Amino acid sequence: MRRLILPALLALSFSTSLSHAQSTWTGGDDLPTNPLACDATPATAEAKPYDGGQPTNPPDRKGKTLTVVDVPKLVGIGYFNATSKGIADAAKEMGTMNAKTDGPSKANIDDQITLIDNYITSGVDGILFAANDPVAISPVLKKALAAGINVVGYDANSEPDARQWFVNQAEFNGIAKAMVDSMASEIGEEGSFAIVTSTFTTPNQARWISEMAAYQAKCHPKMKWLETVEAQEDNILSFNQSNTLINKYGDELKGIFGMTSVATPAAADAVTQAKKCGSVAVVGLATPNAMKPYVSAGCVKSVVLWNPVDLGYAAAYVLRAAADGTLAPGATSVKAGKLGDLSVINGSEILLGAPFVFTKDNINDFDF
Amino acid sequence: MTLRSLIRHETFLAILLVLALVVLSWQSDRFFTVANLLNQGRLMTETGLIAIAMTFVIATGGIDLSVGSILGLTAILTGVFWKNLGVPLPAAAVAAIAVGTFAGYVNGLIITRFRVPALIATLATLALYRGLAEGISQARSVRGYPDWFYVLGQGEVLGVPTQLWILLIAAVVAAVILAYTRWGRTTYAIGSNEVAARFSGLSVEGTKLALYTMSGFAAAVAAVIFVSRVSTTRSDMGSGIELDAITAVVLGGTSIFGGRGTVLGTVLGLCLIQALKNGLSLAGVKGDGTIMLIGIVLILAVLASAIFERSGTR
Amino acid sequence: MAMSGVDLPPVQPQTNLRRPGFLRRLMADYGQELIVLSAIIVLFVAVTAVNPRFISANNLTSIFSGNAYIAVAAIGMAMVIITGNIDVSIGALIGVLATISGTLAVAGYPIWVAWFFPVLVGMAINGLIGILVAYFRIPSIVVTLGALSILRGGLISVTGGTWISDLPPAFLIAQQKWLGLPVPLVAMIVLTVLAALWMRYSAFGRSLYAVGGNPEAAVATGIPIERRIVAVFILNGFFAGLATILFATQLQVIQSTVPPNLELTIIMAAVIGGVSILGGSGTVIGSTLAAILFATIGSALIFVNVSAYWLRAVIGLLILATVLADMLRRRRTV
Repeated sequence: MRRLILPALLALSFSTSLSHAQSTWTGGDDLPTNPLACDATPATAEAKPYDGGQPTNPPDRKGKTLTVVDVPKLVGIGYFNATSKGIADAAKEMGTMNAKTDGPSKANIDDQITLIDNYITSGVDGILFAANDPVAISPVLKKALAAGINVVGYDANSEPDARQWFVNQAEFNGIAKAMVDSMASEIGEEGSFAIVTSTFTTPNQARWISEMAAYQAKCHPKMKWLETVEAQEDNILSFNQSNTLINKYGDELKGIFGMTSVATPAAADAVTQAKKCGSVAVVGLATPNAMKPYVSAGCVKSVVLWNPVDLGYAAAYVLRAAADGTLAPGATSVKAGKLGDLSVINGSEILLGAPFVFTKDNINDFDF
Repeated sequence: MTLRSLIRHETFLAILLVLALVVLSWQSDRFFTVANLLNQGRLMTETGLIAIAMTFVIATGGIDLSVGSILGLTAILTGVFWKNLGVPLPAAAVAAIAVGTFAGYVNGLIITRFRVPALIATLATLALYRGLAEGISQARSVRGYPDWFYVLGQGEVLGVPTQLWILLIAAVVAAVILAYTRWGRTTYAIGSNEVAARFSGLSVEGTKLALYTMSGFAAAVAAVIFVSRVSTTRSDMGSGIELDAITAVVLGGTSIFGGRGTVLGTVLGLCLIQALKNGLSLAGVKGDGTIMLIGIVLILAVLASAIFERSGTR
Repeated sequence: MAMSGVDLPPVQPQTNLRRPGFLRRLMADYGQELIVLSAIIVLFVAVTAVNPRFISANNLTSIFSGNAYIAVAAIGMAMVIITGNIDVSIGALIGVLATISGTLAVAGYPIWVAWFFPVLVGMAINGLIGILVAYFRIPSIVVTLGALSILRGGLISVTGGTWISDLPPAFLIAQQKWLGLPVPLVAMIVLTVLAALWMRYSAFGRSLYAVGGNPEAAVATGIPIERRIVAVFILNGFFAGLATILFATQLQVIQSTVPPNLELTIIMAAVIGGVSILGGSGTVIGSTLAAILFATIGSALIFVNVSAYWLRAVIGLLILATVLADMLRRRRTV
């Protein structure tokens, strides 16, 4: 009798958890969405007053060498290695910035907050960050501003008044449009797809998924969303989850979205090893180096990303401009080294540009 | 356990702490300032509360790996009770703490009633409670708390961070209980020889149940402080904090096999780890280097203590 | 002791004393393993009824092969736990060894060097841990906690977190086949069987149970406990190294970070497979079956559409159920 407890519990768990309601995409957040137009009409950016924070009584840093620390979400993944390289390139080019990257080994908020706190105490001139959580990081960033430190964010925003500027790789709805349009062009207007994301609590990914859902409902209504799975930032787990999706849906699955630079190569590897190249499309965000084998083999047609090296590069230049005072509230554009002029949107965000698409033709030109 | 052997480890640790403080303040003049030290006190409160409760648990020869998950569960429940159920915030926090305490009680039940070894039981509840946190919150954060709530985690009372007062009071109370009350002596007895303790008429099951409940309570209070400090709730809060707490406890001289340990040792261990994390960072060592050094310090400290003590237990 | 040369009449067995039946003995010796095996079978039947693709060749490969490295690592961990110790640094160790392996492969060293040099490194590091545990009497959880920090921090320090790509195709053994079956699957089965036989029938293997179950008795019978403990940790490093080969060659890139929660999964596989944390009982067959069970659960829950938000809670509940079932079973037989 007692030996049956375990199997009985197993059966019970399954029967109570069967749910086939799939109307809303899993993995998105609740915030309002703003899907772009279905054709190539560019988005109109409405002018917003400046809403960033300001450092309190910063010392005059114009022309002086800045000590800057870069605190990404975590260290050890290709994406942030690339942004770190961009920051280092910019610092070297300027000659007046000493930048170092120091991030937590896991993408959680506590380690990141403690790191930033330590750097505030050690008296850096500037902080660059990519937040693990927009609200959680804000108290410590406000503390930095209060200490007269210049604060600029990139990749993942904080609350607006906790930093001076935020370098945005691309608007959330722009990324969503690029991803969904890419997928639709590869699998057709009636294809079914699944999503592999990091965790459901990662803000950027959750935003993108929400925007993708809204855009798909508006412009490709016959495409079918099957499922979203979590794979943290672990490539073996992403690989296993992708395999499970491929096995579960069989021929019904036509495409997989990879929402992180870890998930996309793993999904591509799963498709390759399952010998489904050509029948299952992989569209996602990834760094070129990780995707080279799959793009050269023709398994993945295009990889959507902005250029993270440029992102880091721009962030460093924005910090320099903010510290020097050449970029002040109310400005409409900023000069970012070799990237030229970048425009200011949404009050205190600086737009890097359009998403970059890596294909077989250009992927070998990049090394990050 | 003699008074002499006890004092030896804590003294050694205190000397180590002073040494670390001196070296680190040479490396950076911003380390040994009142503002910085108080700030570090603020940052180490959550781990500290959990470590103090963990001292009791480990002194009985047990362990509680689920404290991080209880912290996460309590944190999201605070948000869920307040925002989704509309309960006023103070009541929501209290209710969430009650649930966290109950989670600790469940741990105790599994360990005492079903006789599952503590390591396995809390390993299983680690997964279960974290899963509950994720499922209940549906991966949504709750933010936008009223300003008065942030005084707990971000404010000060008489110039000292609010939560540091809580940590100090907890440390003093715990130290008194462990060293001077019958409860404390029962804890040591269980750790030294559980069978003998039972035959001596001590309430082994009741004490263990109470200790795991207290561990849950400490994690729950730490959760509310954490939410107040970062002004949001996330279901992944507290993951990994159990290892930090255990490191502090073990560094402080508490034996994993039970029967030995003091709250003072744990607090010293906690301060040493925090000082290293902060001081090394100010001296320019990056996060990864700090992690390595703490691992080395842990092994060396326990090694040195083992060589000096030779107390004969395995 | 019978005196030689004296013929004693044969002893008649009492008629009401019968040797317990084969099944009863099987349950007593392998109770937990059978529970895990029956759970796997129940899962397969239940999920295939919902979605027949669960037993497709690809999915079976994915479940068994994709997670074989956990089973191999759990063999070493089971041995460590049987002696009454534990190793929480194994996840970090595998991460470090995978990075070493990939770096050697990309740098042009012969493939077998890239595979087996990390095994030696794993054995060396764990040997050091074993010495600290056995001769300096530091509890294994403390030493391995320290080792975990050192390895984790060291890995990021040295690599800066860069991924290793451009691996030579011959290196990727986990993607190849032996005798028609995926290599990881074959490796897992062969290693488990060999280890199980060795643990049960060799003096060394049996002495591990003694060291964990009753150290005083072990000393009394002349078993050199310290050397055994060092040896078992070296074995742990050996199996971690083999697991790394399977782990690192699964994809075309190696992520040089510590895989999250790997040590918890490996420890749970050993423990739920029947290895008692109190030391002295359990088999490596159980730990391999439990590793398979975890992989099956992970896949099964997605197949039956368990809401993604509740996935981890269901897994936690299942683990708890298995643990409680094991405890109830022990109370029945003990």
